[in-house]
This record gives sequence, structure tokens and C-alpha cells, in this order.
Amino acid sequence: MKLTVLHKVGIFTLSMLIATFSMANAKEAKSIDELVAMFDDKKCAECHEQIYSEWQASWHAKAINSSLKGMRNFIAVGLAKEWDTPLTKAEVLKCLDCHAPAVNYASEELAVEIGNLIVTAFEKKGSPAGSQAAEELAKLNVGCYSCHNIKATSIAPGLRGKPEKGVMYGPNGEDGDDFHESIESVDISTSAFCMQCHGVYHAPDGETIQCNTLSGSYRHGYLAAGGSKTCQECHLNKGHLFPGGHDLDTVKEGLGFNLEIAKYNHLPGQIEGVKNPKGWVPSAVITAFVENKAGHRIPDG
Amino acid sequence: MVLEVTAKDTEDNELFKKEKKWFEIGIDPDKDMRYGAWQIKEIIDLTLPPLQTQREQYLVHFDTDTDEVTINAKLWYFIRGGKGEIVYEETRTLEY
Repeated sequence: MKLTVLHKVGIFTLSMLIATFSMANAKEAKSIDELVAMFDDKKCAECHEQIYSEWQASWHAKAINSSLKGMRNFIAVGLAKEWDTPLTKAEVLKCLDCHAPAVNYASEELAVEIGNLIVTAFEKKGSPAGSQAAEELAKLNVGCYSCHNIKATSIAPGLRGKPEKGVMYGPNGEDGDDFHESIESVDISTSAFCMQCHGVYHAPDGETIQCNTLSGSYRHGYLAAGGSKTCQECHLNKGHLFPGGHDLDTVKEGLGFNLEIAKYNHLPGQIEGVKNPKGWVPSAVITAFVENKAGHRIPDG
Repeated sequence: MVLEVTAKDTEDNELFKKEKKWFEIGIDPDKDMRYGAWQIKEIIDLTLPPLQTQREQYLVHFDTDTDEVTINAKLWYFIRGGKGEIVYEETRTLEY
């Protein structure tokens, strides 16, 4: 079928309308405060005080400032020196898609500014400029919206579609006081959900970023050996604190230890260098059994 | 993670010491060891795999005039660099 001029004008107009509509929906924050306001976790504390309190003490709550060194090295060494590649939003997201998913909704300029803040916070640590940068970065983290909205549908985007604005995705879908709409999501209770970030990260351009290898050993070591627990079954045992390797109780739960010692006297004349070559030699067989009860290799990361 | 086993006499002299380390080595495509998350493309896995128990065994001989030995075993977990915590520790005294 040949397209008439009218058809072409119609298709062009429709394309422009779709593009305009898409851009209107894809609001991008131009400042950190604007970005934080779009995904304001403090609002969650008004009803979910206990959960918010647990989260505040978690490593998720300080996901940028606790990893400044690695991210600074990526930007200042990896990008700037090894790859000779400019700092862009796409490059920043190779760290922050996991360490602060809200940055997906930052403008190109803001994302680059956040990248530069990371460098400043690390390189000028202890100075006013460094402290100010760290203070700004502390506003960004793996917060409530990160898991319960931004990343909520990412393990099955074809099936689930994009997350709906302002809607909270959770395991039971309860609505509370209708402060927000809720959608029941089984996805969030799966290991695959955590594996989006707790494993080798695959950037859209194909680059792999290997902060840890947890999900690889979970899938190919633990599941393959017959394990069936999810990440959440162990790491949600202290609520949204999500304890891991930083928590001695959790490390102890994941490890077993047993020491066996067999004492005996070795035959005279067989061990060189002893004071009395004709005497019995005090000896012992020391055996330590170290068991990995966790769902992933130990150590990891 | 490090298993550290020592044996000491009654005067705290170290008669025996062994360490076993579990860790992973990150390497780039040229097989050079790397620390940067963007540099590491493969690992050499020297960690303790999930659902597995590993056995470390030592046959130790002391001198013929040894009357008493204290065996100490510590399992350390290092969350990063030099920051380690003792997960398990056991001490036994052997008399000869």
C-alpha cells in the first residue's frame, strides 16, 4: 500500500504527539532536592515507623557514602584514565542504578553533578567541600521507593511493565490508610529481585560491573546443590536492616565450626630434631571443619 | 575468611601456627589481578562454596620434653581489608 501525503502527515503528527507525551511523563530532576522530593522516603516513616527505623540503620540507607572509594575510583581512574571516557549519566548509572536507583530520574546534568560529588566527597574527605559533598550524597540511597517502586517490576519488565508512579509494590498489597496505592507483587519476595544488584551488574551497553558475585554462587552453587531458601528468608530476619557480612550474628548463622583434636605419642626415633631421639614424641592431629550454611559463597564481594 | 590454628607451650611460646584463607581473586581479561569492580571480568574462586564443609587437618609433633600444649583455633571473617572479627574460637589444653 502506498502512503499518501495525508497518511504521512498523520503518522508524523501522531509520532510527535507520542514523543511529547513520553517526554512529559519522563520528568527528570534537575537538583538532588528535587530528586529526593520525587521519591521522598521520609513520608513512609509516618505510617511505617518501625520499618523506616530498621532501614535507617541499614547499609541500604548509606549505599553511596559507604562505597565512595570504589565509585570514585570508577569515575576518576576507570572512566577518566583507563577508558578515556567522559562522565555521563549512562556511566554514573553503572554505579548508581543500584546504589541510588532514583538517579535514573535525574537529568543528564544532575547525574554528572552527582558523579563529581562522589569524587569530591572521597578526595576531599574531612575538608568543608568534602563534607558538604558527602552531606548531599547522603540524601541518596537504596530507599523505600528504590525497591518498592523503581526496581519493583524490573525482574520481569515484559510481563509487569514499568512501575506506576506513586504506587508501592509489596508482598501483600495492603493499602494502609490509602496514603498510597499498593500493588501485590510476588516479584519482590524472590531472590531474583535482590539479584538485580547483588551480583554481577550488566549495564545497558553490555559492560559488566563486578562488585560482588553473590547471585552467581547462589544460582550455580547453592541452588545447584539443592538449596531452596530465598535471600529474604535469611536477610530479612532483622527486618529492613537487611544484615549481611557486616553483622556478626548473620555471619555466625551462615557458618558452622567444629574442632577435633586427637592426642597421641608418636613412636620414638621417627621425628627428627627432638631433644630425646629415643623418647616418645608428644603429638596431635588437629582437624577443623568449616561449614558454609549460607546460600552463597563465603566470603563474597 | 581465615582459619588460624596455633599451639603454645605453658610459657606462651608459639610451637605451631597455620593459616588457611578463603577468598576470591578478581582478574581482568588479560588475567591480571584487579580490585576495581569495572576491571574484574572473571574470578578465580578460592572461597568456601555454599552448602559445603571443608576440612583442614594438621599433624603436629612437639618436643619430647613437652608436658602441656594449648591449641587455639580461630575463624576470622574479614568484611573488608584489615577489619576482621572472630566468628568462632576454640581452645583446648593437651597434657602429655
